[in-house]
Amino acid sequence: MTRLRLAVPTLVSLFAALVFGVLLLLVVGAPPFEALSLLVEGSFGSASKISATLLAWSPLLLASAGLVITFAAGLWNIGVEGQVIMGAIAASWVARVVPGPGWVVVPGTILAGAIGGAVWALLAGFLKTHGGVHEIFGGLGLDFVAAGIATYLVIGPWKRAGVASTSGTDIFRQEAWMPEFQAFGVGWPVVPVLLGLASVALVWVLLRGTLFGLRLKSVGNNSYSSFLLGIPTNRYLLGAFALGGALAGIAGTVQVTAFHHKLVPAISGGYGFLAILVVLLAGFSAALVAPIALFFVAISVGSTQLDLRLGLDSAFGGVLQGVIVLFVMFGGAFAARRASWSRSTQEEP
Amino acid sequence: MALEIRDIHKYFGPVRASDGVSFTIESGTLHGILGENGAGKSTLMKILSGFYEADSGEVVLDGEVLDLRSPADAIEAGIGMLHQDPLVFLPFSVLDNFVLGSPGGIHLDRSEAQSELARVSADLGFHFDPAVAAGDLTVGERQQLAITRLMWLGAKVLIFDEPTTGISATQRVQLFTTLKRLAQDGLIVLFVSHKLEEVEELCDSVTVIRQGKVVYEADMPVPSETLVAEMFGKIFVQEDHASIETGAPLLVCRDLVLDEGTTHIEALDFEIASGEVVGLAGLEGSGQRTLLRACAGLIDPTGGTLTVDGTDLTGASYRDHLHAGVHYLPAGRLEEGLVEGISIAEHLVLVSDDASFFIDWKKAEEVATKEIDEYSIKGRPDSNAETLSGGNQQRLLLAMIPDEVRLLLLEHPTRGLDVESAAYVWTRLLERRERGTSIMFASADLDELLRYSDRIVVFFGGDIFAVRDAAETDGEELGYLIGGKERV
Amino acid sequence: MRQGKRSVRLLMLLVVFALVAAACSSSSEETTTTAAGGDEGTTTTEAAMPGEGFKFGMILVGPENDRGWSQAHYEAGKYIEEMTGAEMISLDTVNPADRPETSVEQVVSDMIDQGAQLIFATSDDMKDGIEAAAAEHPDVPMIWSSGDSAWEEGEAYRADLPNLGNIMGKMTIGKAIAGCAAALTSETGNLAYVGPLINDETRRLVSSVYLGAKNCWEKAGNDPADLNLEVNWIGFWFNIPGVTLDPTEVTNAFFDGGADVVLSGIDTTEALVVAGQRAAAGEKVWAIPYDFEGACSEAPEVCLGVPYFNWGPAYLDVAASVMNGTYERQFQWIGPDWTDINNPDTSMIGWVNGDALSDDAAAALDEFIAGLGDGSIDLFVGPLNYQDGSTFLADGEKGTDVQIWYMKQLLEGIEGASSSG
Repeated sequence: MTRLRLAVPTLVSLFAALVFGVLLLLVVGAPPFEALSLLVEGSFGSASKISATLLAWSPLLLASAGLVITFAAGLWNIGVEGQVIMGAIAASWVARVVPGPGWVVVPGTILAGAIGGAVWALLAGFLKTHGGVHEIFGGLGLDFVAAGIATYLVIGPWKRAGVASTSGTDIFRQEAWMPEFQAFGVGWPVVPVLLGLASVALVWVLLRGTLFGLRLKSVGNNSYSSFLLGIPTNRYLLGAFALGGALAGIAGTVQVTAFHHKLVPAISGGYGFLAILVVLLAGFSAALVAPIALFFVAISVGSTQLDLRLGLDSAFGGVLQGVIVLFVMFGGAFAARRASWSRSTQEEP
Repeated sequence: MALEIRDIHKYFGPVRASDGVSFTIESGTLHGILGENGAGKSTLMKILSGFYEADSGEVVLDGEVLDLRSPADAIEAGIGMLHQDPLVFLPFSVLDNFVLGSPGGIHLDRSEAQSELARVSADLGFHFDPAVAAGDLTVGERQQLAITRLMWLGAKVLIFDEPTTGISATQRVQLFTTLKRLAQDGLIVLFVSHKLEEVEELCDSVTVIRQGKVVYEADMPVPSETLVAEMFGKIFVQEDHASIETGAPLLVCRDLVLDEGTTHIEALDFEIASGEVVGLAGLEGSGQRTLLRACAGLIDPTGGTLTVDGTDLTGASYRDHLHAGVHYLPAGRLEEGLVEGISIAEHLVLVSDDASFFIDWKKAEEVATKEIDEYSIKGRPDSNAETLSGGNQQRLLLAMIPDEVRLLLLEHPTRGLDVESAAYVWTRLLERRERGTSIMFASADLDELLRYSDRIVVFFGGDIFAVRDAAETDGEELGYLIGGKERV
Repeated sequence: MRQGKRSVRLLMLLVVFALVAAACSSSSEETTTTAAGGDEGTTTTEAAMPGEGFKFGMILVGPENDRGWSQAHYEAGKYIEEMTGAEMISLDTVNPADRPETSVEQVVSDMIDQGAQLIFATSDDMKDGIEAAAAEHPDVPMIWSSGDSAWEEGEAYRADLPNLGNIMGKMTIGKAIAGCAAALTSETGNLAYVGPLINDETRRLVSSVYLGAKNCWEKAGNDPADLNLEVNWIGFWFNIPGVTLDPTEVTNAFFDGGADVVLSGIDTTEALVVAGQRAAAGEKVWAIPYDFEGACSEAPEVCLGVPYFNWGPAYLDVAASVMNGTYERQFQWIGPDWTDINNPDTSMIGWVNGDALSDDAAAALDEFIAGLGDGSIDLFVGPLNYQDGSTFLADGEKGTDVQIWYMKQLLEGIEGASSSG
């Protein structure tokens, strides 16, 4: 019931953002409807386009699912970006050193990614629970450290032979790649998509149906009340960090073993930060994360066509994403203000 | 010159904080405003000093109707207020604090300000080092600084809100001297307090406020019992309450020393027997909450021991207390009891001790339905805590108390509840004492204290002032004790 | 909780603003080339142009207007359009940070879908992507600039990719000229180099600077022992706060340490800017930027000149060979046109003198360039040692392209790290 009431202003805002996007296109002198259809065509127009969109969708799903967990615990896990990177680094390490066939290495990279992300998240967690450092600042700091480590590894110890540069480490051997499934003439990222969807399902079930999720929600909504109810709040905060970080870390695994097949300095692809926007738009609900994330990556993937076909700067895709978030945000703020206005006339302060 | 307050109304939702208040004070008067906590004193003073806007009514000073929309308006009109904790910027110097908020432009002539500070403070008999940081001043000196500043800004009416909280006896004497002098100089001084003694000692006239209304006005002196009666209203004539046989000591405090903020409780020797109900009386902030929180394990004692049911819990964690059967129900139901955004059924799952990892929502709903029925909660299993009324939130909190609890610690268990809900809450609580649970509760409601307690502990000024058997005291005596006076 | 929501909104706002700002800052000036297409505009009157209807793809690693590496390639593409009437399909900022969801293979496939018959991948960063794309589309000619995959003698030869060629300019010559200009101007003999990251390419460029400087320093009659070249690697092609060293600080440290000419090996112009500031404060310092013909404009009064790439002629040759069906993949490491190194139609490597170069120095520099051109000056001749004293070229040995391309260390006499390991 409340969710439906929230959905209406969101839809209105989305429509408003679309109108704004069309106006923007008119201002720069581009044919708006051709541009929009290019966006769709560029992300879903062919088998290979759909495959590319799905491949970008998976890490965003994983990172978003992780964030739903930490948001449920009331945490601003800005460190998600660093957790993706550390997951990617850990997975790269396994891919580089673990011998054996794919069915050994690939699960190994997934596990390593989860551990790498979880450890990095727990660092931010301990800084918060034991050091009194707000997770926004701890997380941001750790983001920078993780990005620094990735760059250091790529141009340092893990540099490729010969022309070592920003292009990344050597390509992993084929066994360490996440397997693709060939159909309609292209390879499909079945494993990443399954991981992404499974993570969303896991988070949904955890928050809807388990004591862990309920306690997490309770800690997130009111940690003092929860403490008085006898919930070990710090343990739950750390649990949320670990789980959220593990999922973000697996997003990092997908980035290295399914997309780049090597470690590059900008390995996270900014999916951590994008995931924050996705989760905010989804109203912190796991169920809405999947379609919204798909919508976002479709814009990202499709906007390449605007550049290729119309000579339009493809930053337009980013601008459109930003505009959508702004409109939905203002829509939400407006609805919230109206609600609290009507409530405050009935309530004492 | 006179300050006239005409029919002021101020509602917060259904709460009538000021309900048609009118009175007049002539200049040169030191006027007391008396009332118990929540009577509406503070609201009225905040309206006078521009922090709140009244819904209706007028404030008239020297024949002129004032338009008070902000504290700056009030100061410009000549009304200044000193808060309980003087609003002083601690890291700033005395001089900076003095010139802060002065009506001048951006330009600040420091040497002129310094000589002004010296002049005004000398007039008042104060002395400051302008360069010292305000944080190094005592609370009393901060008050003096705030008074100096308000006088410099041209205040004609000075409001003092509980000014003796947290200052030493000598500073109190000095403050009182100052107040008397200010009144003699022709100012209107409003002295807001709930301490009878101080009002009796100081004030020329008094207004008593109860439930947002002026219930009594008189020139001093007035007999204490009159003031007590007017402050607390009709005092409940005590019925015989169902006293039951109490058992062995459950809670034992030996030489307990507690410190929390300005509250200091020294060497408390105190026992509660199994099945006993102990009421904690006193004005808010007098130390009751400190004792309750210490017994719940939320503050560590600085000395002595605390034992529950033979187990030494001195310095043990909150969760250890919880496991030992100590349950604490604070006053803020939605701030420190229930969780917003979580439903009745979910709250009950959170406190149930046999919940499995995967929640059986069908069972949870059944449990919730049962408890809703049993505790007559107006709400559905999926109603979120914040959608319930205060009474129903309290009922939910009662339903969440575990069965095997040994010691119940309650803060204002019936505050804000209607009569029916309050009676219901106590019915449920008293059922528990029959099973041997001890109850310690803090309340501002004398009626409630007298009706349900076996013993009443009265706090005053951060320490225990008196302990009375409920059967051997009455509302009148409690009124005195709460005001810090023995009945004469 | 209410408070919490408010801070949620605040943060959201910040995130969004950051996002929009990032998007705006990377947006380049409006592009009209591709939108105009081949079927309108000035080319219609000259319908007989050989490239009419021919399309080629140009993949850039940075913004097409970066006044550096990527812009040089973009302008080469425009040059082909102008000369042949062909149509360029270009996509800029193709790198994992700016387009995390886009791979080089995908871009190549998209361009081929749009009719591209030739693809330029213009960064060594694109190695893996362009090699995969070449394998996927074996019938489409492709060029990986600055790469070595088509070099039979090279260390990374890919015999299995007969459609993928390489083009690179002999910037060793441009850098040697820069080194000479620096040595001719320096009063202290202390030169410094702001390096990006350490690899084969950057090692040979620093070494070329040193050899050029040494040659001109000694020719001017100075004591060889007084010439110093110090290099400091910032770690990346441009400044990334918190990750790389700050090139502004590195440059300042060089000048503080006694250097009076700083050469830049990175994509951005901090060295020149710092030199301009310090010169304005009365110091006698100079700088030499890199990559882009117009780079001196940031501080012409201290700029000794700039070595730059001119990809147009080489790219035009490849495009023409594809058009007339004679394309054959090859590895090309192309030097300047010695008759006129600044001829836009013939010379791959150029050098423009800066305002700060004295007439005497300019004359000596011209002599040096002429010597390089007629072969009377050959810098890569032994005896030359690596930094650790081991032999790079034995006495009298002339360095081959393979030896120079894959230098293992910096040369003896250069201060600074030879490897990042």
